[in-house]
Amino acid sequence: MATKKFKCNVCGYIHEGDAAPATCPVCAAPASEFTELKEAEEAPKKKGLLSDTNSNAYIVLYSTVMVVIVAVLLSVAALALKPRQDANDLNEKKRNILASLSAENESYDTFVDAYVVDKAGQRIDGDVFALLNDLPTAFAEGKFPIFEAKDGRVVIPVTGMGLWGPVWGYVALEKDMNTVAGIIMAHKGETPGLGAEIATPKYQSKFVGKTIFEGDEFVSVTLRKGGAKDPAHEVDAISGGTKTSDGVTAMLYNSLRNYLPLLESKRAAATAPEAAVPAEVSNEENAESHE
Amino acid sequence: MSNNMKYLTGPFSANNPVIVQILGICSALAVTVQLKPAIVMALSVTVVTAFSNLVMSLLRNGVPARIRIIVQLVVIAALVILVDQVLKAYVYEISKQLSVYVGLIITNCIVMGRVEAFALGNKPWASFLDGIGNGLGYGMILVIVAFFRELLGSGSLLGFRIIPESWYMTEGGFYSNCGLMLFPPMALIIVGCIIWVHRSRNKDLQEK
Repeated sequence: MATKKFKCNVCGYIHEGDAAPATCPVCAAPASEFTELKEAEEAPKKKGLLSDTNSNAYIVLYSTVMVVIVAVLLSVAALALKPRQDANDLNEKKRNILASLSAENESYDTFVDAYVVDKAGQRIDGDVFALLNDLPTAFAEGKFPIFEAKDGRVVIPVTGMGLWGPVWGYVALEKDMNTVAGIIMAHKGETPGLGAEIATPKYQSKFVGKTIFEGDEFVSVTLRKGGAKDPAHEVDAISGGTKTSDGVTAMLYNSLRNYLPLLESKRAAATAPEAAVPAEVSNEENAESHE
Repeated sequence: MSNNMKYLTGPFSANNPVIVQILGICSALAVTVQLKPAIVMALSVTVVTAFSNLVMSLLRNGVPARIRIIVQLVVIAALVILVDQVLKAYVYEISKQLSVYVGLIITNCIVMGRVEAFALGNKPWASFLDGIGNGLGYGMILVIVAFFRELLGSGSLLGFRIIPESWYMTEGGFYSNCGLMLFPPMALIIVGCIIWVHRSRNKDLQEK
């Protein structure tokens, strides 16, 4: 036998020669990482790999068994952990609702009354948190979950599309059903550092104090590119996050609009005896905020 | 036994997957803005490398050579999904911070690199130790990078404020965080600095 074989312990490279190379040409590991391979050691291994285990029948059988085992394993794990994950999810929602009201220290169960309203603002039956899981569908079906705090403020869940995926959040309104008390927004995959800024407390604090009605007309809150011009209904859009900002604008407008009958009856009650005329939303306004 | 110890501790320095083999750089950039996610990521990767090495080493004589990469992928992917599910159930907040990066452990080159290069040719126990060693070697670098990025970029460590509020310019002080540290390129530069220090102390790693 003229040459010996040396195997690199790091990457598995096999060098043929009288001595191990100074450094491994593949991964640059030093000579000390090489071990000499004995012929006898190599022969049975090769045989083991290439004998029957490479026949088509074996491969098909092997992959089938493997897939079934892995599938069973993963489904068992998913089912076993689901209750815990759902509980986490629910807690997260409750925390977000309290956070939008700046009432983190309150207990959700005693502080917030959750119910569902229909298009006309009348209470209907429905499981609030089940609806929250798929808000776009709930909106399409005319079921609008809402959270009313003990102190008269309300929290409205909102949903829309950002640049890369869904954005959603909770808008808290003061007792006048007009002033934004707080907002919590989250997103699935907006660009970090740009669109993802909507999820930061710093950005969300800009919404506090904005009003969603101009007189009796519903105008929502707009994220204005180039800086807010109207201090009452606009906030600065995120530079570099124009699409996300537009998505948030549309999300606020389209989601809050669903609650108009309820908000207006509550407003009327708050500002009574002046009877508020339900505001018409012009198509122009609508088109603009979808731009 | 001393050989086994070498499998475990080798990847800490002389064979470090990140700074010597330059593997797993992508996730090292992504999750090192803060220390806490970096530590969770390090532990998750360690669990995945260790168990994928163990499983593949146990299977190594039965795996058909022609589909071995697919088999490796299935094993790794299944482990990663398990880790992801467990994180979601028990440390929800952190799993939200890590978001997609847990799923991306599948694509971490270290995991598959170790399975292909080591586990397929070694006994289960040695492979398991090699997996732990490589996971921890990767985690060490992650933690070092995250330490500097969180300290200099946010002025805190593990969420606790280190640099006093009163130092900040907004509070009338003289200090301001280095915003650049929050961006991925700085992680690359810190990794570069670590490699520099490491090589200047380990002459045998220097290329001629």
